[in-house]
Amino acid sequence: MKAVRVALALAGLAALVRGLVLLVDLGPRLPAVLVWALGGIVLHDGVLAPLVVLLGVLAASRTPAWLRAPLVGLLVVLGPLTLVAVPVLGRFGARYDNATLLDRPYWSGYVALVALGVVVTAVVAERRRRSAPPRP
Amino acid sequence: MSERQLTGLAGRVDARLPHPEDFRSGLRGPRTTARLGGWLGIAFGVCFVTGLYSHYLQHPSPWVPLLTGPARLYQVTQGLHVAAGTAAVPLLLVKLWSVFPRFFQRPSAAPRRLLLDLLEKGSIALLVGSAVFQLVTGLANSAQWYPWSFDFISAHFALAWVAVGSVALHVAVKLPVVREAWGAPVETRPAAPGGLSRRALLRTTWLSAAVAALTTTSVGIPGVRRLAVLAVRSGDGPQGVPINRSAIGADVVDLLHDPAWRLTVTGPAGAVELTLDDLRAMPQTEAVLPIACVEGWSAGGTWGGVRVRELVALVGGGTDRDVAFTSLQPRGGYRTSTLPAAWVGLDDSLVALTLAGEPLHPDHGFPCRLIAPARPGVLQTKWLSQVDVVPA
Repeated sequence: MKAVRVALALAGLAALVRGLVLLVDLGPRLPAVLVWALGGIVLHDGVLAPLVVLLGVLAASRTPAWLRAPLVGLLVVLGPLTLVAVPVLGRFGARYDNATLLDRPYWSGYVALVALGVVVTAVVAERRRRSAPPRP
Repeated sequence: MSERQLTGLAGRVDARLPHPEDFRSGLRGPRTTARLGGWLGIAFGVCFVTGLYSHYLQHPSPWVPLLTGPARLYQVTQGLHVAAGTAAVPLLLVKLWSVFPRFFQRPSAAPRRLLLDLLEKGSIALLVGSAVFQLVTGLANSAQWYPWSFDFISAHFALAWVAVGSVALHVAVKLPVVREAWGAPVETRPAAPGGLSRRALLRTTWLSAAVAALTTTSVGIPGVRRLAVLAVRSGDGPQGVPINRSAIGADVVDLLHDPAWRLTVTGPAGAVELTLDDLRAMPQTEAVLPIACVEGWSAGGTWGGVRVRELVALVGGGTDRDVAFTSLQPRGGYRTSTLPAAWVGLDDSLVALTLAGEPLHPDHGFPCRLIAPARPGVLQTKWLSQVDVVPA
């Protein structure tokens, strides 16, 4: 296993060096790239992750036990999907001269997906509520 | 717990920040992280390999073999690129959740240990920064949204190497933990009463990845196309094929119908100028070929026109030379493209005059365009004005 680890580390370092050289080659455009790369870390670690932790704390203290697991499922599916959908929901890239770009009814599709998720969550939660042992 | 005592402001901040032990969910831990990491590694691997292939199609290198077929090859590799990148969004987010408490691990006070801790944190920062950058810029690019001032292609290419390098380094460091974690079974019982079990969390994440990929990129797969409610294209357009750059966008509207338009073809034996009627009088060939774009969408069409090899034969060009195509477009990075020699002799490499049996729509490149199998759409140059056999 040691050989595998060393080989992986060397290959990784080589790719990293290649990437850093390519980054330096960007020249005057490098600062903007770094701002976006660092911004990703800050937004995730500073905003998104604490928000999810907060939601977890709220769910643990404010919701009945039978509802928690279905809610986690809903968040795991709809949370990332919502982030993925941002570019098409906002239609930020739409162009007046190209009707074939961003040409779907995205909000209807998104609302339908959310509704489907909520219905499935509700059905699962209701089943769990019925099968949960009565509180002492 | 912190081994040293901080004083003043640093101490007050330190006292307010949580410690890794403060996070209580029993669903975190190596058994969760290793499995998420495995699938994330596969997704990133697929993205890297397909991305490199797309890169070398656009910037050929003598070291990289390129395949001229099957015609749908690029449609598949680029569809996989975007699908794997989209599926990686939930995988990455849940994986980062599973290790988030480590973010609050205080670096050691002992100098040697401190250096190692800082190196590890630095490598993780490279990993997270490049991974988030690649997914965010890739998704925005597929919707043609450019809210930044840098060039997408060169930045996405550079950070791809950083991402794949830091993933490999990370796996090398963590391999013993990963092996042990994979050896341990995944619990089906919830860690806390009423909570989710580890297996249920993992399965929900796989479902999330599948939903994200299916709703955005299944537009190229017959039968499930209607499920792609978040796809950047419906797959429809003039003559049944979507477009990326319109005639208006390329600033060629006034040039298309100019009666003085000629297609200039140059080669070893000299040059010829052909009118549209001259081209129509040459032997016509039909080919069913997809337009497959770097943004991950693709649509098939039936194209008709003159074979590239028959066109260059007029000026003494053979199938052993690359051929350069130039557009009427006054500017833009994709004004010209080079068709490598390996494609020149193919039966279905065409200078197309028709799509779906009609003259090309202005947005599809009227009077004529290049269309060849297994290549990115941006290289299928539209509104041709010149075809040159590249000297050896």
